[in-house]
Amino acid sequence: MTTMTTATTTTVLEASGVTMRFGGLTAVRAVDLTVNTGEIVGLIGPNGAGKTTFFNCLTGLYVPTEGKVAYKGTVLPAKPHLVTTAGIARTFQNIRLFANMTVLENVLVGRHTRTKEGLWSALLRGPGFKKAEAASHARAMELLDFVGLAHKADHLSRNLPYGEQRKLEIARALASEPGLLLLDEPTAGMNPQETRAAEELVFAIRDQGIAVLVIEHDMRFIFNLCDRVAVLVQGEKLVEGTSDVVQADERVIAAYLGTPFEGAPGAAEVAEVEAAEAHQEGTTPDTAAPDTAPRAATPADTPDTAPAADPPPDTAPPHHEDGATPRATGPEGKAP
Amino acid sequence: MNELPQQLANGLILGAMYGLIAIGYTMVYGIVQLINFAHGEIFMVGGFGALTVFLWLPDGFSLLAAVPLMIIGGVICSVAVGTAAERFAYRPLRGAPRLAPLITAIGLSILLQQAVWKWYPDAKKDRGFPQFGGDPVHIFGADIQRGDFFLIIAAPACMLILGWYVNKTRSGRGMQATAQDPDTAKLMGINTDRIIVMAFAIGAAFAAVAAVGYGLHNGQVGFKMGFIMGLKAFTAAVLGGIGNIYGAMLGGIVLGVAEALATGYMHDVPGMEQFGGGAWKDVWAFALLILVLLLRPQGLLGERVADRA
Amino acid sequence: MTTKTPSTPDTPRLTKTTAGPHISTLPLPEPLARLLVLIGSAAALLGTFLAWTWTTAFPGNLTVTGYPGGLQVITLTGAALTLVFTLAGHRLRGLTWLIPGGTNSPVLLLSLGVLGTTGYTMGAISDHLGGIVNLEPGAWISGIGALTAAIGALGLPSDTPTTPDTPTSNPWQRLRHSFKAPAPPRAKTLPDWAEILIIAASFGIGLYVLAYGIEAYSELFIGFLITACFGATALHRAGLIPRLNTLTAKHRNVTLAAALVAAALFPFTQSDASYALIGVNILIFATVALGLNVVVGLAGLLDLGYVAFLGVGAYTAALVSGSPASTFDVHFPFWAAVLTGAAASLAFGVIIGAPTLRLRGDYLAIVTLGFGEIFRITMNNLNGRSGPDLTNGAQGIPNIPDLQLFGYNLGIEHDVLGFTLSRPANYYLLMLLFTAVVVLVFRRSGESRIGRAWVAIREDETAATAMGINGFRVKLIAFALGATLAGFAGTVQAHVSYSITPEQYLFANTVPPNSAFLLAAVILGGMGTISGPLIGAALLYLIPAKLQFLEDYQLLLFGLALILLMRFRPEGLVANKRAQLEYHETDQLDVPDQQKLPEGTVGVHKAGA
Repeated sequence: MTTMTTATTTTVLEASGVTMRFGGLTAVRAVDLTVNTGEIVGLIGPNGAGKTTFFNCLTGLYVPTEGKVAYKGTVLPAKPHLVTTAGIARTFQNIRLFANMTVLENVLVGRHTRTKEGLWSALLRGPGFKKAEAASHARAMELLDFVGLAHKADHLSRNLPYGEQRKLEIARALASEPGLLLLDEPTAGMNPQETRAAEELVFAIRDQGIAVLVIEHDMRFIFNLCDRVAVLVQGEKLVEGTSDVVQADERVIAAYLGTPFEGAPGAAEVAEVEAAEAHQEGTTPDTAAPDTAPRAATPADTPDTAPAADPPPDTAPPHHEDGATPRATGPEGKAP
Repeated sequence: MNELPQQLANGLILGAMYGLIAIGYTMVYGIVQLINFAHGEIFMVGGFGALTVFLWLPDGFSLLAAVPLMIIGGVICSVAVGTAAERFAYRPLRGAPRLAPLITAIGLSILLQQAVWKWYPDAKKDRGFPQFGGDPVHIFGADIQRGDFFLIIAAPACMLILGWYVNKTRSGRGMQATAQDPDTAKLMGINTDRIIVMAFAIGAAFAAVAAVGYGLHNGQVGFKMGFIMGLKAFTAAVLGGIGNIYGAMLGGIVLGVAEALATGYMHDVPGMEQFGGGAWKDVWAFALLILVLLLRPQGLLGERVADRA
Repeated sequence: MTTKTPSTPDTPRLTKTTAGPHISTLPLPEPLARLLVLIGSAAALLGTFLAWTWTTAFPGNLTVTGYPGGLQVITLTGAALTLVFTLAGHRLRGLTWLIPGGTNSPVLLLSLGVLGTTGYTMGAISDHLGGIVNLEPGAWISGIGALTAAIGALGLPSDTPTTPDTPTSNPWQRLRHSFKAPAPPRAKTLPDWAEILIIAASFGIGLYVLAYGIEAYSELFIGFLITACFGATALHRAGLIPRLNTLTAKHRNVTLAAALVAAALFPFTQSDASYALIGVNILIFATVALGLNVVVGLAGLLDLGYVAFLGVGAYTAALVSGSPASTFDVHFPFWAAVLTGAAASLAFGVIIGAPTLRLRGDYLAIVTLGFGEIFRITMNNLNGRSGPDLTNGAQGIPNIPDLQLFGYNLGIEHDVLGFTLSRPANYYLLMLLFTAVVVLVFRRSGESRIGRAWVAIREDETAATAMGINGFRVKLIAFALGATLAGFAGTVQAHVSYSITPEQYLFANTVPPNSAFLLAAVILGGMGTISGPLIGAALLYLIPAKLQFLEDYQLLLFGLALILLMRFRPEGLVANKRAQLEYHETDQLDVPDQQKLPEGTVGVHKAGA
């Protein structure tokens, strides 16, 4: 996908040392993250790693115990509505639409912070009010068109199918004209077709000049989409870099897939099992898959488990630089 | 001045009453997030139940011996009403938007008041409640009526029993679990419906004890006694930290003492000479509520609960 | 720029389920059932022309043959309607417009209504005069006729088919099913003038019905209430009221004007001042309820002490309007008194709201309840003994002088265009102006950016704040606006009631307005709608006022009614579509007509409609 080269790269978001403690539990620990204009940054990590908590710290839903969050250079107050006014918009992990409002009304609510007609204006209904309402309507329809929901403008939002509800949430977030959009698991529950469409949508958003920070579990989606990826594990940022770097990092792999446990079957036992199975099937067993790294037999070498788990980092294996290893990390292989 | 110990004593007695009623509010709110508006009327029903038992007993029966029986009678009545309310009025509305159970509670409160007014013999005016005769006991500079010893004994006893129940028994721990996370509690095999009924029942029982104390202290019970007492008890629950049972008693004591002190001493405050005396005590209670909500909305013993988005 | 996802077809809402039979409550062959209804309602109708009793001791003079009086008129109306709707069900040309929705359910409801009224009348006569012997043959004819019609109606097939899920094993379930009716399809569009005429005529009828209810003595009122309730439901099931709603939604400003004109005509129809007094009290109650509707219905805030804001406005106006008992020796002109009263209420609204609106809704409920009580206690106590004498304590502020507006003294009777306008009637018209303002405020604020913000906050506050809405500020605006509106109404109320006392502002009392009744009016009527609180207020005022003999039980029944209401119809009488969806998860909002229905959907076409 084409990336727009921006003339100036300004820092849109700068989170430094953000820490969030709930009593004795530290959910987020000294996380630094920067997002620049025109970037799509991914935030991944196992469940419970603190990603949504981090989002909540960015948007002011939680007040970080330590650290600060700055948007375009200004430190943000910890009040969600002020954060949105400043220019950060978000979607939610569990869809939080206004269920009993129509699709159009949902997006109109999103316009709230960019319009200013208050109670007096509503009561007196001067020409300014009518113009403002018309403008809001027009912009809302534009946004619905952008995400492909314009034909359902008068439908109740809770009657929409799941994928369209997610799109509506995005449209609603875009209505506040953000400079940075935070997407929390936008493709959860989507089929591959819908996921591809979501990818296109995010690119289109980026092409409008809006930076995007996205939490996701779908690795193919992330690695297709993102310029940079940060990995959060147990509240700490483990590594940050381009998709290749992150995919190959063994700590990341360990975090997702785990490290081998003590007493894991050794190569001898593995061979025995294989022989027995081959005997049963009468076919040649799958030989050690070509994606096992050319390493000395370590207890972790179990060819059956497709992407082989790495031994703990202190036994530094030499394979790292081999960019051609098709050994995949994460549930999906690297997409062609 | 000798007045201070007296005011403190009055405040403690009053506070004990508020605290016992407040426990009912806080337990129910802690588990189902419902302000049981009718709890004040459950308190009132308990008082009338106790009175009824007394009236059934033969003349000349010693009041001291009658009190345990009256407690039982009051508790039976209040628990019956409280659990019936839960079963028939609140339970069907469990998933509904918050307004529905609240309005139901208001309706129930009015219904109970009117039912007693209409059908309890001679309840159109306040009815006399037995009191312990005899001279007040003089302790630490304060005169304490004999009847007030009931609350002095009963309130701590109830707290101890409750503390034991919540921490040491299975169903008490189940109650804590349900208060924290009802869905997980259900998954752990806890019968949350039964827990909720228990919460209502315990709250009602304590309210009945408070009602006996109220009757012994004031010498009368009336169909309207639950309204203001309920309001103030809820204030006490909020003051102490809603959902926290020790907070409820603490809040009650603080509220009672504050009320007593304000009643006794407000006229000494410059500019407020005309505002002393009993006519304003409800106003001070309310003012305290506003103050607490402004300064420490989670209450004295409450904790800030973070909203997991 | 846009990417179109390949659209997944929506699951059609009307799936082809096996539509069951249209069952009836009683197993009668349909022709027989129709015949019974016809004969029965005709008999009931004719019976009203005969005498029902031999003495005028029973109010209403039911003794004259040929001139139906009192309750006979109600049975007559009900029976006539039943007859008309039955004939419409026979597909008589010219009458089919009456039943675009359900055909048999209106008949069922009307016949039950007639039975109820007639049965009640017969019972009341017997009870009043001491024995069934006091009933003349006319009463028996009507009674048996009504019974026959009802039995016949119970034998009519239901309007909606049963599905495999519908329970039909016992008669009660079948009866409940028979009450359901399909929604009417889109009506033909009539020319504008015709539609406006229909709206005006409907309001005229509504005015007549309301005036009838106001003037009715208590026995008549009960009969009237029974027939009116069943009748209104019948009209609704027949599809007429939904159609009227479509019309009023289309011509909103005309509707508002028509309603105001109809309301303004009311005092001209009253020669008796006491009815005008009832009218103005209803109007005050309704206006305050509408103000509460902004707080509770639009913004979803629980205000349990609303009557205190009414009181603040009333007391302020009373204190500055030259009453001899007032502490302040001033006599503001009316407009200044109104502004002062409203400003005072606004101030208190902000004072109470500012600390509490940041917190959970339940806390607001308790604080407002407390404020309501504190207001009353304070007004009581500022009597010179317990506190400085500001409000004259329990005696309140009596003898508030009557208003003189532009030379027109509202306190005395006037002759206008041949009609006598009594004192209450004058104040009624004044109050109507205020009501119009409140209605406008409600409508305009609800349909605007701030109105949307209120709904958003009500639905999901976290998401709303994430959209940039300052929850606290928005809630405070709603709360303060509600308080101001109450203050407005209070200033008029002070003048209407001559004198105000603290006891008028209780939490719950048999005489509205008081906080519990106000809340009930809003909820019973239907939150978030305009007509809802108005209807709720009218009902809640009239029923206790008319049924004085129930006085002891009034509050008891009120409490019971609240419980039952929240259990079975929490969205109220006039259901705001949104509220109905909030309370009944399975309902759906109408999908606009662009969607074509899949083939084979059942029950779509309605002959002739």
